[in-house]
Amino acid sequence: MSFSTKEYFIKETYKSIRRNGFMSFASISTVAVSLLVLGMFLLIFLNTNHLAQQLESQVQISVYMQDNATTQDNMTVEKAIKNMPGVQKVTFVPKDAALKKFKERLGDQQQLLDSLGKDNPFPNSFDVKVDSPEKIKKVSADIGKLPKVETAKFGQEVVEQLFQLTKILRFGGIILVIFLAMATLFIISNTIRLTVFARRKEVIIMRYVGATDWFIRWPFMLEGMTLGFFGAIVASIIINLTYGALLSRIHATLAFLPMLSATPLLYYVTAFMLVAGTGIGALGSFISLRKFLKV
Amino acid sequence: MLLMSNISKVYPGGSVALEDVNVHIEPGEFVFVVGPSGAGKSTFFKMLFREIKPTTGSIVVNGVDILELTDKEIPYYRRQLGIIFQDYRLLPDRTVYENVAFAMQVIETPHRKIKRRVMNVLDLVGLRKRADAYPNELSGGEQQRIAIARAIVNEPQLVIADEPTGNLDPDTSWEIMNIFKEINESGTTIVMATHAKDIVDAMGKRVIAIEKGHIVRDEMNGGYGYEF
Repeated sequence: MSFSTKEYFIKETYKSIRRNGFMSFASISTVAVSLLVLGMFLLIFLNTNHLAQQLESQVQISVYMQDNATTQDNMTVEKAIKNMPGVQKVTFVPKDAALKKFKERLGDQQQLLDSLGKDNPFPNSFDVKVDSPEKIKKVSADIGKLPKVETAKFGQEVVEQLFQLTKILRFGGIILVIFLAMATLFIISNTIRLTVFARRKEVIIMRYVGATDWFIRWPFMLEGMTLGFFGAIVASIIINLTYGALLSRIHATLAFLPMLSATPLLYYVTAFMLVAGTGIGALGSFISLRKFLKV
Repeated sequence: MLLMSNISKVYPGGSVALEDVNVHIEPGEFVFVVGPSGAGKSTFFKMLFREIKPTTGSIVVNGVDILELTDKEIPYYRRQLGIIFQDYRLLPDRTVYENVAFAMQVIETPHRKIKRRVMNVLDLVGLRKRADAYPNELSGGEQQRIAIARAIVNEPQLVIADEPTGNLDPDTSWEIMNIFKEINESGTTIVMATHAKDIVDAMGKRVIAIEKGHIVRDEMNGGYGYEF
């Protein structure tokens, strides 16, 4: 492509966007709103996923031994657990350590312990980590059947509900993405259709003097891509600003919530939106030109 | 230059536009195509620039069977043609210069070649001085001259003109015809549909008459042959 051709494309694109001022504005706004919703959804989804993963990785099986279990029994059980498929790590927590930990957690309310006297109510126990959260249920059940094991427990309900939520979000997200992409595509291809219609004389003359299809297509494609790109820019700015603000709010009030930090997350989300906006713009133009060029 | 053999065109729905048309045109010829409206002239022209395909038959231009061209090849074929319409088809938001240069830009001619060539053809059609005017500031005859300049700016071998003087008064028509004559004398083949009896009779060129989809007459140094 020669320099004069590129110059020609850029001039034509610029002229056309200005000439269709209102429709161009409407297209950019639509792309911006769609991508904004998409971007927000993406952030919610990624954060929920992150939260679920955090909790999953924290979830462990607590195995409590019976009071009459001997050191020998403990060692047998530890060995048996270690040999189970999917088990990552087994930590023995002697009853003294459990009490100490409990004391630490009570902080300045130590007097609650005084009523226990010298007795240590905690049994010996194991903390068991599993390499993937799906295996937790089975491993836990298997451990429960071992001799001298009183009980094996884990935060079953929380994990399963979170799993359910990420599944719903993923499914809803896909539907939302398809719906928004179609709406955006429709608006952009409609705008380009108007542009093509406004310039049909030029297109006809171009065809008669022997311009190639791609030469005719490029200015319109560039127009669609420019509209998509600017829409994405608007959406990105809003997302970047609001996520930053939201993050500092959450840090101030709900500090325990594990949120994804702004970098590099927002870089990825911004890049995604720019690519999606530009791509949808190109596709929209291509669709509306397909019919027109079939002469 | 141009060889059409056994061309027939039946439109979807069954109306027959052309039937068994055979035409052979040598390079450098000037050919009038005459006949009543609806006789098939438009179909004939549309086939020449490969806007439509005949139902049967073959069309060979410059040794190339244009019915075999792929969609990608058609633009390059059209670059050998100059096409002129009755209604000029200029772009109203571009100047005279830009209208003519447009035809060179869209086939990706380098910048530096465009200016000189456009000025040359504007000279040829006598409108160099109006290069910065817009089409609506020009008379019909001047607009058609711009359209001619645009059609020949890429130096086509074959110029196809569909009633180029149809909207013009007799004096202006003659001005236009003189330009066509000049183009023809430089070696370009011209095929022109027209209803201008005086012009056809006075020029004494080859005349092909089409009626109801058939060629009814094809004579050298022919006359218009109809009353109007």
